Amino acid sequence: MSAGPNLAPHRPELVSEGPAGPRPRWLELATSTDHKDVGRIMIAGALGFLVLGLVGFLLIRAQLIVPENTLIEPVTFNRLLSVMSVTLVALFAVPLALGLFTYVVPLQIGARSLAFPRLANLSFWLFAVAGGILYTSFVYTPPEAGFNALPPLSDTVFIDNNGVDVWITALGLCVLSFTLLAINLAATIAKLRAPGLAWRRLPPFSVAASVCSWVLLVAGPAMLAGLVMLEIDRHFDGVFFDQGEGGAPTYYQHLSWIFFTGAWLLMLLPAAGAISEIIPALARKPLLSRRAVTASFVAIAALGMLAWMQNMFTAAIPSGFLYGAMAMALALLIPVGVLFANWLATLAFGAIEMRAPMLFALGAVSTLSFGLAAELGHAVIPVNWLLSDTTDATAATGYVLVGGSVLGGLAALHYWLPKMTGRTASDGGAKVSLALILAGAHLTFIPMFLAGVDGQPVDVYKYFDVGDLGLWNALTTIGAVVLALGIVAAIANLYAGVTSGTRAGPDPWRGDSLEWFAPSPPPPHNFDVVPDVRSAEPMRDIRDAVERRRPPRTAEKSESVEPVA
Amino acid sequence: MPETGHSPNAEDLNALYWVMVIVAVALVVAINGALIALALRFRARRGAEPRRLRSRGPAQALIAGAFAALAAVLFVLGVVVTESSSEVEASGDEGLQASTRVTAQRSLDVPSGETEPLEVEASGQQWIWRYEYPDGTFSYYELVVPVDTAVVVKLESTDVVHRWWVPGLGGKFDATPGQSNQTWFKADETGTFEGASYQFSGASYAAMRTAVRVVSVEEYEAWLAQQASDIEAAQAFVQEQVASDTELDDPATEGGGGATEGSTEQGATPSGGSGSAEGTQ
Repeated sequence: MSAGPNLAPHRPELVSEGPAGPRPRWLELATSTDHKDVGRIMIAGALGFLVLGLVGFLLIRAQLIVPENTLIEPVTFNRLLSVMSVTLVALFAVPLALGLFTYVVPLQIGARSLAFPRLANLSFWLFAVAGGILYTSFVYTPPEAGFNALPPLSDTVFIDNNGVDVWITALGLCVLSFTLLAINLAATIAKLRAPGLAWRRLPPFSVAASVCSWVLLVAGPAMLAGLVMLEIDRHFDGVFFDQGEGGAPTYYQHLSWIFFTGAWLLMLLPAAGAISEIIPALARKPLLSRRAVTASFVAIAALGMLAWMQNMFTAAIPSGFLYGAMAMALALLIPVGVLFANWLATLAFGAIEMRAPMLFALGAVSTLSFGLAAELGHAVIPVNWLLSDTTDATAATGYVLVGGSVLGGLAALHYWLPKMTGRTASDGGAKVSLALILAGAHLTFIPMFLAGVDGQPVDVYKYFDVGDLGLWNALTTIGAVVLALGIVAAIANLYAGVTSGTRAGPDPWRGDSLEWFAPSPPPPHNFDVVPDVRSAEPMRDIRDAVERRRPPRTAEKSESVEPVA
Repeated sequence: MPETGHSPNAEDLNALYWVMVIVAVALVVAINGALIALALRFRARRGAEPRRLRSRGPAQALIAGAFAALAAVLFVLGVVVTESSSEVEASGDEGLQASTRVTAQRSLDVPSGETEPLEVEASGQQWIWRYEYPDGTFSYYELVVPVDTAVVVKLESTDVVHRWWVPGLGGKFDATPGQSNQTWFKADETGTFEGASYQFSGASYAAMRTAVRVVSVEEYEAWLAQQASDIEAAQAFVQEQVASDTELDDPATEGGGGATEGSTEQGATPSGGSGSAEGTQ
């Protein structure tokens, strides 16, 4: 105490130039550890990459509009193809789902933050840097080894430029980001639920978030291992995927398909979770069976992951394994069927309000039914031998991507936009964009099915005018333009909602879960008071309690300020 | 419309394809029909109150059971057709009889009536398919086979993963470097079947096409002889050119070098000089 120069006067004096000025808004957002900020910038990033992915898709469709087109060089086409595929899967579909989970789940379970707030910020930046690396590669060498960079093609013997390294780095950072965010979400849901919010009372979207996190915890590390081994094979004399040296190209196929199966589930399950929230809210009646819906989510995730080999039916794998994969893929029919039946039964005898979220949710259900029915054909080995690796496979995946990530994502965004911004997006804009997306999707994918059945290979930069291939491809290209217009219109509708939408209260849809208890937009700490949860529909209980305390005549608006319980 | 099946296994695949089309269309029509009907019927109206349905266990179990039954039926069908279409049938009466082929090659007496399938080695290389016949003769792009004959296509690759499919003659199968895989077909009529590679393999992947020309047994044997002599002539020509520059190379050692590439089965076929033709390409 006595050592050193005594600088302190007897009366301590605080010298200050006033409180530190507010940091710029973008810096606040970029460095925020608030789950709502991370979720919002992740969603914005994912939508941005969706637009870039659509540009790539349209360029590819422009090349394929007529047979033997020479508009785009083969190598350029292959680069567009590689970048577009990784964009739509790893920079749009999965980040959009994770961004929505990051925003909504803590609110929905009555938590004040994620379990690891800083890790969430890191996850966003890993994803952003990955996207930056991928698109910066256009100034030097973009990747060109196809959508999953199978060795030996992706080895330096066959592609010696650094495009594949860019692909490995970008996808690797994305997968790392997803895995970290999955750890975060799984821990948050397991540990930070409001008092009384037992697992059996967890809202469907949070169930989907939990299930998806576990899917990513299986699929992510598998892909990371595969990517690291691929990089070692490329530059450090590795032999992991070299036949004859003890390795095999098939190992990589397994690892990458485990991941891409997981990514496929991340297109389907988040959308299913959002649909299972929106249909009950806007049909004004609860899900037919919450338990059945929850069980189907878990079953879809488990069976879906176990069916990864259904993408490898053409490989030289002992038939026992292939029959196992076929059994898992076909067993998916059971939970998927139960899920659709529950959605339809929830609509029955409801009072359906055709607001924007409901429109997109119904569009998603319809579009997903096409995609999942088409996938069913690919699950049966002999039919897979006919249809796999033709444009039929592209169309089946495309239907799930549009039905799940695009329409399911738009449904979720329109549903939670009032929570995020305090404003509602227009129903009219939603109707126009939904009509365009549905028309565009069918016009894109149905001719694609027909071209695939006629034998058009997937991923080709040109095709030959056999049969009606010219007609089918021209229709697909027109459909792609309509689809892209619809998606851009929907994003514009969301943006208009953010800037100038109708002001919404904290609970515009009369939802049943806890996020509607917080003000819109919620404060950084989400809740002043976290209510005790006593049923699966805590907000209904709160509304009922508020009703009982009030004189019955007023249709109240300010129910959320009342901490009940 | 899938290519009409011209091989017993392709016909099996097409039959199951139509089953799946019917199942998928039925599911899509049922779901979307119900969706539209419910959305129209139960739109919110003034005075209309939602009626809460009670979830009953048996209802969910019934739905799950119905889909489980459908999945089980499809699984059984899938296994049955996979098994039946993987089983190589015997060649027909009009087809090449293996016994005569073996007799001709080995000058041995083989009991008549024994029909071994014709084994062809298909090797994918960026970006063309190379076919090697049992006597060591080879062809690029086009596979020529006799009609009504069981042909086993042994698939392999010399560089990256390729996938062989000729619509109308069965399913798709991978040609992976260092791994053996196979498919088979028995074409029921003469003609040319167009096919392609179905696995992305780099820059010129779209140009990696192939064809199977099905001809009568006599034409096949004539073609095979012609092809063998053409190859030998080409080999002789190349050697002449080389010899004019350098010393004459020993054709036997060249042939030996080429044979290591082929599978041991074919390498063992005592087919004389035509096997050495490979050394020049």
